[in-house]
Formats: sequence, structure tokens, C-alpha cells
Amino acid sequence: MSTRGGGGRSEFRRGRRGSWSGSGVDAERVFEIPVSSSGQSDHLPEMLSDSFVPIVGTCPDMCPENERIRRERLRDLSIFERLDGNPRKTSSAIAVKKFCRTLSSMHSQMSEVRPFSVLQKSFKYLFDLLQSSEQPFEAVHAFVSDRLRSIRQDLSMQRIHNDQVIIMYEEMVKFHIISHQKLLRCREESTSLVYLNMEQLVKILTSLYDMYSIERQSNEISLNQGEFYSFYVLLCLGRNNQKAMGDSLSSWFRNLPFHVLQTREMCFARRVLRYFQMGNYVQFFRMIAISASFLQLCLIESIVNEVRTNALRCVNSSGHKLQPYPLIHLSKLLMVDMEDLESICNLCSFKITPDKACGKLLPTKQIDFCQPKEGFPQYNFVGSERLQRWQDLMSASGNLFHFFE
Amino acid sequence: MAANMSMGEAHRLIADYITRISDAVISQDEESLTPLLSVSSSSYLLVSLADALSVFQDWSRLLKQADRGVQIGEVVVHLLKSIQSFRLSRFVDAYNALEKSSNAFLQEFRNWDSAWALRAIYVVAYEIRILAEMADRELSALGKNPEKLKCAGSFLMKVFGALAGKGPKRVGALYVTCQLFKVYFKLGTVHLCRSVIRSIETARIFDFEEFPIRDKVTYMYYTGRLEVYNENFLPADQKLTYALKYCRSESEVNIRMILKYLIPVKLSLGILPSMWLLEKYNLLEYANVVQALKQGDLRLLRRALEEYEDRFLRSGVYLVIEKLELQVYQRLVKKIYIIQKQKDPTKAHQVKLDVIIKALKWLEMDMDVDEVECIISILIYKNLMKGYFAHKSKVVVLSKQGPFPSLNESTSNAQEIIL
Repeated sequence: MSTRGGGGRSEFRRGRRGSWSGSGVDAERVFEIPVSSSGQSDHLPEMLSDSFVPIVGTCPDMCPENERIRRERLRDLSIFERLDGNPRKTSSAIAVKKFCRTLSSMHSQMSEVRPFSVLQKSFKYLFDLLQSSEQPFEAVHAFVSDRLRSIRQDLSMQRIHNDQVIIMYEEMVKFHIISHQKLLRCREESTSLVYLNMEQLVKILTSLYDMYSIERQSNEISLNQGEFYSFYVLLCLGRNNQKAMGDSLSSWFRNLPFHVLQTREMCFARRVLRYFQMGNYVQFFRMIAISASFLQLCLIESIVNEVRTNALRCVNSSGHKLQPYPLIHLSKLLMVDMEDLESICNLCSFKITPDKACGKLLPTKQIDFCQPKEGFPQYNFVGSERLQRWQDLMSASGNLFHFFE
Repeated sequence: MAANMSMGEAHRLIADYITRISDAVISQDEESLTPLLSVSSSSYLLVSLADALSVFQDWSRLLKQADRGVQIGEVVVHLLKSIQSFRLSRFVDAYNALEKSSNAFLQEFRNWDSAWALRAIYVVAYEIRILAEMADRELSALGKNPEKLKCAGSFLMKVFGALAGKGPKRVGALYVTCQLFKVYFKLGTVHLCRSVIRSIETARIFDFEEFPIRDKVTYMYYTGRLEVYNENFLPADQKLTYALKYCRSESEVNIRMILKYLIPVKLSLGILPSMWLLEKYNLLEYANVVQALKQGDLRLLRRALEEYEDRFLRSGVYLVIEKLELQVYQRLVKKIYIIQKQKDPTKAHQVKLDVIIKALKWLEMDMDVDEVECIISILIYKNLMKGYFAHKSKVVVLSKQGPFPSLNESTSNAQEIIL
């Protein structure tokens, strides 16, 4: 829903720090209308106003007929929607309604909106496509991501709200989390795709949390809540992410019921947060090796190199100036290959000296450290069966979407 | 009581109220107007008025008679509905009516050039918030979505807008800001505070010193809390200390509220409160934390975090307290150093990692040499300890001079909280 400020105002901004008293404020514009409290979600803002009248869609197909015809004419068919590869022909079996930025519930016709049963059918179709398609992942991802967004749009317009919607949202979260890793591993440059994927992930999570809190009022507790809340905490880790996630974590925790904070997955995430912020690399790696779930690892993996870099900096600055530190020892603690640790050192401008007896050494008190602008490549985990299993699954050429735990 | 009132009496009470309001508005008499607007107060006037409204059901025609060219009909009709509903404990209805009344009042307020009705607007802002909270409780109890406080927030933003101009009304903006803070904090949507804060702090029309001291204290309290949530300890210290300094000393409840946030900030800056302070203001949840910092007792810190986990999470200081762990480690190593110094001053600055492991074991904390080395290297890296560690010999060699720099070396002297 684009009624709040165009272009999907994202609450997830990489590398931009939020600040308290903004500078450069137009003195004439003395105040701003605040964004609604669920301003991050595509789903629920209108639900809360009395005047909203939900519509009930009547579109029987995954894509309304008008849209099919229009897009056929304009040759605006995705590769997945082309009948026999023909860019001008589609069918009701394979066309799926596109996300429309300028759509508003007031101007939609009933015939253009899909009722819940059709949405469920569309949803299943998209996930089947994910598993079976042989197209490159970036293409499948872009298509599924957009069409899922349209499903959320239809759900929102009709104010459909039940535990099956929650399950759909949970599946979407899983899709975006796994996509995050898969996009990172794509051969081509995909930074913008990664960024957009994250943006959607955060939006969906926020809507999901709204739904959880409404569900809680009727005393039903979804069993998965712990893990899905933990994703938010893990998304806040990392130098770039901390200030970009909207509210501070302290503030976010305030609003959660105690039993959620006490779930196994949230306790895990809170401990990871604690080790990460303190810089305790020993416990950080131990913990994630033992307790991180498959999906949690997908998020954590993005920041492991920050932990490793930090470990190198600590050791470099605190070690005896006449005793270079044995990298092999560090590599075991950091669960990374020696060669990869060398690679990290090189990228950070840390010099290494070879030593016949103890392998490679990191001389201490080096001052040339710098953060590599391009970030780090992904390194394999070593020293943990669980982590290696995760890795094998991620690197497998097949699709993972039936591997949800 | 309603049953005892006669129709005539009821009629008179209502007509009287209507006259008083319109008189107050015509003569711009703030003092007379303000008590008439306090819907939620249990003033004798309003309680008996509410009863009168139930007795004399047809009171709306009295308004037509009373309308002496002052355009406050809209204001009064909904205000009366609100008063009546409030007394009948129908808080959602009371809120809805009050919102309509207040919107109409705000329209009038905008047209008045002088700031004569500022205190009346304060009452309106306050009542809107209070009734919204009660309405939301009612909605939740009915299993519905509590949305009235959100609406109150939107209304208050409108009030803010009416006050944010060059004229004399602008001194009221801080009061309304504080009401907005209370709304956002209650709703848990604290990020919405950003836009009002920006307006107050950067708009040229506002001069912070012009605002009444009471509002400044409240403002600093809330913005100080936000700095705590964001772990910006120096600004948090500055703001909360301001609030503490100018807070009325008789107001123990308010002082306690400020201290609840100021203490974790001070702890993070290396300044410890006395037990006396914690006892006086009933902030004993911090007692073990302070002890842990004094003694380097990690176990005690963990215990305090566990015991008061819910409370700390609820107030938003949990992560701050958790972070004190490093200072506790520092203190532990310092204690070992001091003990070693007493035994053999020449060798005291060399602390074997094994000794630290033993000390931790004694505190029922199981850590291996890798983790201890990791923590030592962090302490040194973050300047909590001066020296270096030797990996091969598993020893920390502390600097012979000032091996444990204190945290607040950037702030000049240790500050005492004087009350």
C-alpha cells in the first residue's frame, strides 16, 4: 500500500545512521505529521481506522482478466507467465497479479481483487514454482517476491486476518531469509537485489509482529513466535544495521511480552547480541555453532566476518609486541580456514609473517588496519559439523525451500 | 444521586453550566473556563452535572437557547455528552465525544490571537490523553483493537501545530510535546517522538529557555530516556541530570523516576550511587549491580540481571546493565592485581590467566583460557586495562603505571548526586 509517502519508505537503510535532532530542517516546516505506528508494514495501517470498509474480492483467477489482457497487449509478461515462451500470450493458469504501487482500496474493483481461497492458491503456486523452476535464482526471486507482495496487498485491502494468514507471512519471511543467502551467493552483482530483499523482509516481519500481538489478545500463541521475533534481533546486529532498524532494541524489547523474550530462540538471539556487542568472539562462535537454527544462521552469517575482524583487531592491539600471534589458533576459534583468515587479514591490511614452527603469525601493534570497502567474500565454516551442514545445504544447487525446519 | 435530583434542578444545573462556559469564552476568562473542561476530574460540579444530564435527557435544546452568538455550540454539546458518558463509565463514548468537542475548541482557539486560553488547552490535551487511555482499556477488555490513544496522538499533533507559531501561544508547545511523549511511550512507538523533538530543538521560533520549568523537566526526562535507549550516555547524563536538578525536591515519585534511568547511565560512566540513595528511593534492583561492580563479582551481576530481568526489560535498561559486564571483569582483574601487590609488589603486574580462571571458578563461572584471553584482549583494546597479554606464556602483563584507567576520565571529577 503506497498511501504513506511514495517509493516504499524503507526502515532498513544500509549504512545510514538515524539521528535524533535532524540537521537541515526547514524552519518553516515546524512539525511533521508522524508516520503511523505500523508505518513500516504494508498490511495493517488501515485496519485500525473506523472508517475503513473492507471489500470482498471476486476475482476467480490468480491474475484478473483485465490485467492479463492489458499486460499481453503491452508485452509486460514475466518469463514465467509466457505461454510457450510467447511474450504476448499468457493464460489464467500461469499469470499472477502484479504488485501495484499506486493501488488504493478505494479505487479497486471487486473483480480485480482475489478472495482468500484464490490467494491461497496463488501462494501455493508461487512456492511450487520456486521449487521447480530452472531459471536462474535472481529471476525466480524477483518474480516470486513481487507476486507475493501483491498477495499481501490483496490481503490487506480485504482486511483478511486469521491464523492461515500468519502462516503465509511466516513462509514469506522464510523465503526472504533464504533468498538473502542465495542472492549473496549469486554469481552476478546483486547488491541492490539483496538490499530490496532485506527491505521486504523487514516490512513483512513488522506486519507479522502486529498480527502476533493481535493474536495474543485472543490468548492464542503461535508456536513459532520465538524464532520469528529472534530474526529481528539478529537483523540489528552489525555495524551497518544497528541504527537502521527503526526503534532501538531496548525500546523494542519494552513492548514484547515477557514470555516471548523468554523463548529459547529469543534467549539465544539475546545472548548472541551480548557476545557480539562485547566482542566475545570465543563464545559467539561457540554459541552459533551449537544453537543457531538454519534460518538464524542465514542472518548471522552476514556478520561473522565483522566478529572475525574485531577479534583480529583486539589481538593485534593487545598482544605482546614481541610475540606475533599464531593465526592457526585464532582460525580455530573463529571457525574459519587458515587460508581464509589470511584473506581476511589481507583485506584489512594486516600483515602476516610466516614461521616454520607455528605456521602463519600476526605481528601485533600494526596500525594499518582499514575496513575493506567492498566487504568480505563468504568463507566456509570449519570446525563445526552443524555449521558445515548448513553450508552444504546453502551451496547445494537445488532449491532449499522445502528444507524449512 | 441522580434519582434525587428534580427535573427543575437538573435543568438549572445544565443551563448554568452552559452559561458559564459561554461567559468565560466571551470575556476570555481562562480561570473560569478551565475547571469546566476537566471531564475526568471528580469535581462536585461535573459529577452533579453528569447526573443532571441523565435526569434531564432533552438537554440539547438548552443549547439552542443559550447560543448567544458565540460559536462554541459544537464544543459544548459534545463536551456534555462526554461528561455524561464518562460518569456512566462508557469511556469509549466519552472519548469520542471529547475528541469532537476538542476539535471544535481547537478551531476556536486558533482564531483567538492572544494566548488567554493556554491553560484551557492544556486541560483539553490532558483530558484527551487520559480518556483515550481509559477508552483503550475498555476496548481491550471487550476484545477489540485499542486504537483511541493513537487517535489522541494525532489530535495532540494538531494542537502542537496550533501552538507552533510566532505568537505568544508558542510557550505552550512544550507542554503538549510532553503529553505526546507520554502517549508515544505508552503506545511503545517512541520513534514517533523524533519529529516533535526536531521541531522543538531546531525550529527558530522556539527558545527553550522561555518554556516553563516544569515542562522543561518533563521534556528532559523523556528525551533523556530516549538517549538511554539509544545508549548515548553522555547526552543521557546531561538531560537526566538537568531533570533531576530542577525537579521539585518534594516530588519523591518523580525523583525516583529520573533516578531509575540516571543510575544505569552513571554506572556506565563509572560512577556508583551510594546504598543510601538506592534505599531512600527504593531502587534496590540496582543494589547487587553496584556491589558487583565494586567487587568484580560477575556472578552477582548475572544474578541481578536474572532476578530483575522483567523489570529491567520493561524499563528499557536491561541492555545497559548487561553491558556493565566488562567493567566487572576489569574490577576482578584489578582485585587480583591488588592482592598480588600485597604479596609481592615486584611481580604484581604479571597476572597469570590461570589465576583469573581460578578466580572465576570460585565465582562459579566456568571459563577456559581462550575465553579469558579474549576478554583480556577486549579490556586492553577498549582501554579498560593498560598492558598486553603474552599468548605463549598465558600471562597478562599490566602497565606499571595506572594499569586500570577509570572510565570517567573524560568527565572531570566524580560527581555526587546531591539532593
